[in-house]
Amino acid sequence: MNISAAVTTPVAIRVHDLHKSFGPIEVLKGVSLEAREGEVISILGSSGSGKSTLLRCINMLEVPNSGTIEVAGEAIRLKTSSDGRSRPADQKQVDRIRSELGMVFQSFNLWSHKTVLENVIEAPVHVLKRPRAEAIEEAEALLAKVGIADKRNHYPSHLSGGQQQRAAIARALAMRPKAMLLDEPTSALDPELVGEVLRVMRGLAEEGRTMLVVTHEMGFARDVSSRVVFVHKGTIEEEGPPHEVFTRSKSERFRQFIKS
Amino acid sequence: MDIKFALETFWSLAAALPLTLELAVTSIALGSVLALALALSRLSGILALDLFARTYVFLFRGTPLLVQIFLIYYGLSQFPAVRHSIFWPLLREPYWCAVLALMLNTAAYASEIIRGGLISVPHGQVEAARACGMGRFMIFRRIVMPQALRQALPGYGNEMISMVKATSLASIITLMEITGVAAKLISESYRVIEVFVVAGFIYLAINFALTRLVAFAEARLNPHLRAPLAISAELKGETH
Repeated sequence: MNISAAVTTPVAIRVHDLHKSFGPIEVLKGVSLEAREGEVISILGSSGSGKSTLLRCINMLEVPNSGTIEVAGEAIRLKTSSDGRSRPADQKQVDRIRSELGMVFQSFNLWSHKTVLENVIEAPVHVLKRPRAEAIEEAEALLAKVGIADKRNHYPSHLSGGQQQRAAIARALAMRPKAMLLDEPTSALDPELVGEVLRVMRGLAEEGRTMLVVTHEMGFARDVSSRVVFVHKGTIEEEGPPHEVFTRSKSERFRQFIKS
Repeated sequence: MDIKFALETFWSLAAALPLTLELAVTSIALGSVLALALALSRLSGILALDLFARTYVFLFRGTPLLVQIFLIYYGLSQFPAVRHSIFWPLLREPYWCAVLALMLNTAAYASEIIRGGLISVPHGQVEAARACGMGRFMIFRRIVMPQALRQALPGYGNEMISMVKATSLASIITLMEITGVAAKLISESYRVIEVFVVAGFIYLAINFALTRLVAFAEARLNPHLRAPLAISAELKGETH
């Protein structure tokens, strides 16, 4: 994506001056980030840097203490409750925005009492109220796309980690999300299974999907993402197109980070 | 042992079987509703509800069921307020006193079993449901409760068996269920062995059926714990 195109493309997700503390520990200290439609942003950082918290704030799995989050131009309304904690002002709005964002977790989090197909159609049928037959048809196409069509009637516990994560990606895609949030999608996988999940993610990027990926996969960050964000101690320390930041980063910490 | 007398005893006791089953089924059914409410109170994060449920479980699990039955049957009628309340038509019946005591008692145990089931559901699965835009009630109904039930079922099976046996205590407050009839037969015939062996056999038969029922429900509810499709197909000698 060239620069002039990037400026005219609508913003899918905008995060502004986000602060988040867990008890006395301030995890995010004023983070701002913008993802335009079709962008793939790799969020890098060492453990404890706040990168997962940043991602989880976007769909309110963590409620930020202050700052704003906009999804497709719509700001998530927050209020301060009587105990001084920040809360969503309108849970219905949060639920709706969540249904427009596909989330993929490090530990897959498939529903273990449902088959792969049931996992994929659950939210389309019950949250989006799509007709079941239509949801099944779409789910089967998605499972074929991530390469596990033959596992549709298996339960998650009968699948390998790589297959489970691909099923989880299909589950997220089934909501026809405006953007995908992937929280270390390959970190829980055996090394030989990482490739199959990365291939699926690469395919999504090539389709032009908006993706925010918290990852430790430097190859993915360098080759697939349109922008790299390096989070360090709760702030964005470095940000830019991968070919720039990986070759001539001004940040000593980032150079240190990619070396290790 | 006198076979003919044992057979006669069996038929007399079998006539009391419906009352035993009725006591067990009613108190287990009502108790399960109360148990769910107690378990949810424990997990609600609301201090007052949590403390109430803790105290309830402490009291009803920590005192003998027989004492609870006596307190309800003999104790409550001492209070004019109870005698004049709308509950009196029920509370003066030994049957409902027994059901009440059994239900209150089983709810204490069952609430802990259900709570165990509820907290066994991995938090990540709840988070995944939230991330899809599901509301709290839908998450509870479609994700948490089905898995909690599966987890709780073996423990709940135990509790149901205990309740079937506990119905025998209702004989103390004049109910002629199996043990009540057995005691009456003994006072008439002085043949302790025959009567109690037959009574024990009937309880054993009920609990055998109950155990099979629970095992069946467990197998039906837990397809994800069975062998994967591919393996069971191989076991059947199929290929694909």
